[in-house]
Amino acid sequence: MAGLVLLVAILVVGVLAPVISPQNPYDLAQLDVMDSKLAPGEKSPDGRTYWLGTDDQGRDMLSGIFYGLRISLGVGIASTVFALAIGLVFGLVAAYFGGWVDTLVMRIVDIQLSFPAILIALVLLAVLGQGVDKIVVALVTVQWAYYARTVRSSALVERQKEYIEAARVLALGQARVVFRHLLPNCLPPLIVVATVQVAHAIALEATLSFLGLGLPITEPSLGLLISNGFQYMLSGKYWISFYPGLALLLTIMAINLVADQLRDILNPRLRK
Amino acid sequence: MLRILRLAIAALTLLGLAGPASAAKEREVSIGLQAAITSMDPHYHNLSPNNSMMLHVFEPLIKRDANQKLVPGLAASWKAVDDLTWEFKLRKNVRFHDGSPLTADDVVFTLKRVPNVPNSPSSFATFTKPIVDVKVVDPHTLIFKTATPHVLLPSDLASVMIVSKLHGEKAATEDYNSGKAAIGTGPYKLAEYVPNQRVVLKANYGYWGGEEPWDKITFKILTNPAARVAALLSGDVQMIETVPTADIARLGKDPKYNVVDKVSNRVIYVHLNQSTDKAPPFVTDKSGKPLEKNPFRDARVRKALSVGVNRDVIVDRVMEKKAVAAAQLLPDFFYGTSKKLKPAKYDLEGAKKLLAEAGYPNGFALTIHGPNNRYINDDKVAQAVAQFYSRIGIDAKVETMPSSVYFTRASKLEFGYMILGWGTESGEQGSSLRSLLATFNRERGMGVTNRGRYSNPAFDKVLETALVTMDDKKREALIQQAAEMAMNDTALIPLHYEVSTWATTKGFDYTARTDQYTLAMGLKPRK
Repeated sequence: MAGLVLLVAILVVGVLAPVISPQNPYDLAQLDVMDSKLAPGEKSPDGRTYWLGTDDQGRDMLSGIFYGLRISLGVGIASTVFALAIGLVFGLVAAYFGGWVDTLVMRIVDIQLSFPAILIALVLLAVLGQGVDKIVVALVTVQWAYYARTVRSSALVERQKEYIEAARVLALGQARVVFRHLLPNCLPPLIVVATVQVAHAIALEATLSFLGLGLPITEPSLGLLISNGFQYMLSGKYWISFYPGLALLLTIMAINLVADQLRDILNPRLRK
Repeated sequence: MLRILRLAIAALTLLGLAGPASAAKEREVSIGLQAAITSMDPHYHNLSPNNSMMLHVFEPLIKRDANQKLVPGLAASWKAVDDLTWEFKLRKNVRFHDGSPLTADDVVFTLKRVPNVPNSPSSFATFTKPIVDVKVVDPHTLIFKTATPHVLLPSDLASVMIVSKLHGEKAATEDYNSGKAAIGTGPYKLAEYVPNQRVVLKANYGYWGGEEPWDKITFKILTNPAARVAALLSGDVQMIETVPTADIARLGKDPKYNVVDKVSNRVIYVHLNQSTDKAPPFVTDKSGKPLEKNPFRDARVRKALSVGVNRDVIVDRVMEKKAVAAAQLLPDFFYGTSKKLKPAKYDLEGAKKLLAEAGYPNGFALTIHGPNNRYINDDKVAQAVAQFYSRIGIDAKVETMPSSVYFTRASKLEFGYMILGWGTESGEQGSSLRSLLATFNRERGMGVTNRGRYSNPAFDKVLETALVTMDDKKREALIQQAAEMAMNDTALIPLHYEVSTWATTKGFDYTARTDQYTLAMGLKPRK
């Protein structure tokens, strides 16, 4: 329950970021390098208070985190939706038709999963260049295989059941059998996987940004904010890394808590 | 349970003591370097970190002191006999690490080898090319002939390490890397070279210049700034170069450490791509449509982009005071610099007015390109400049990239607005004006690094006269005149001079240098 409340709060902040942020952290004209590296709560020479301090460019950390959450959630959700759609189609097709189709799809999945996700994403971004859309493409590429595998295993079980046989006996079209009859019954485990994967995607995006790939330095997401502050850690200016890190931690924790609860709700064995 | 606890405490105490105890071993010292050494072949790759390392093992005919003044090296003396002839006298008591004596033959061999190193990514041939003929008068006297008067010959030769003919004749770059051929005359011998990790040197006790205070020196490559500081704090190394600006204040206050700094010969500047008639790459109007004319060819636009940057704020906030606002290509205590040139004063209204006069009352859009791992705080400087431009009505985006990618693309003129740096190894402004601002002409060696393709015939004429004037006073006046012409025309935008910093643990003294080299010869135990 706490997880859900936290997640909703974070979602609201992300969606409303442009409205509730004291500053647009991506508009260079609103930044003043004279205000750089102010401690949390410190007043700037022109009388503004930065509640979470500022980074090395004079960017308000609070606004930076709000906008950063917006990017993180956007990237996480968008990449999950696309990866889910692609994985779903391939997984269902593999399970329903079996034979060489199944073998082909599953071998591709095996190959994909044998590479570390971060490695594939790094190579892709090095080739594609910077931008939110490119990060989404990279994340979809590394994630669709998980869904394909999950869908296939549950679809294999469902395929043997009588209602699918009944649908076939009625001579319904294959697409109709797959998407109207098979798909809805494969969804529960998938929802849990998808929720966990959103958290995973957010963490991966933060890692890529931390490594300096993905987004332009003038539009930092949480990972890049952490990376910028990293070099000030030893000199005691903890807030540049700490607060974005905390925001990232809370977001991922909230999503994982919600995923845990979903799993319990959707698990028939735990139902009384 | 209690025993385990005791053991753990003992182990921790040991670990805690291990660092300082081993560091205190006398006559051995470890130094953390910022950049990798790409080879131990002194003629393979003309790169500051390499050149600095080579000076421990090899020596040039003429050396540079901490302020880059020329001082005798392997040559005891030299003089220009006439405009085209130079006479060099070698020291008589110099021996290579293997005991063989240094003779004129080694110098002749070196001059032959320099232009013929296979696959050299950045050759030293520019330094030896002016010498068209070498005569050996006796084993310790050489005559060099040049085709045209070449004032900078002594300075050029300060960049050429003399190698042993005996060991070098059949040696390839790999033999220098393995240490087999790395037999020099320097105060240290190469003991081990592990690319990207470390270089280990042992003392050369028979050094002609007297014994150095260290038996063994380990240079560790620590490219990550935070890791470099951590290594110093943990006692893993006793000195680091290029202290991250964020940590300087803290280390300076701590009585356990010494921080020394010195303004360097490296200027951080902007080249504005003037090579195209239409707008150069990444320069458009505000809606992203191409501009009809190249705005950078208009001196008023260049000036607006210069006075629109508040250098004092960059120095104060971004560089944390470890930089000096720049007015030309070298700080004004170097040869050939003009005291009349002052850093452009920040003038917001003036910049807007200049842009309006040049026909851009609403500004335009550009992308600032720069490296993100080459110069001190390079990516932060780029962002700060973009902030200032947003205030004079210019939409500035920032794109930074690793230097390996950046410099290749910048040399192909793929960018419009380029942040770059230039360290003047010769320590005199004539050579930097020649490389960065003379009209581009690769065959003649003029403007070879002129990525802005600035071209001004009047300036070229003054500079070229200066470069063949043998009289030091007259030449300096001409170089100053050329510098004033270029800077008053905003041929490029100088931002700041880097201040180099070194930090040592207590008990050491380091002599800071303007050329940013980290030399063990400058590190002494404090008495």
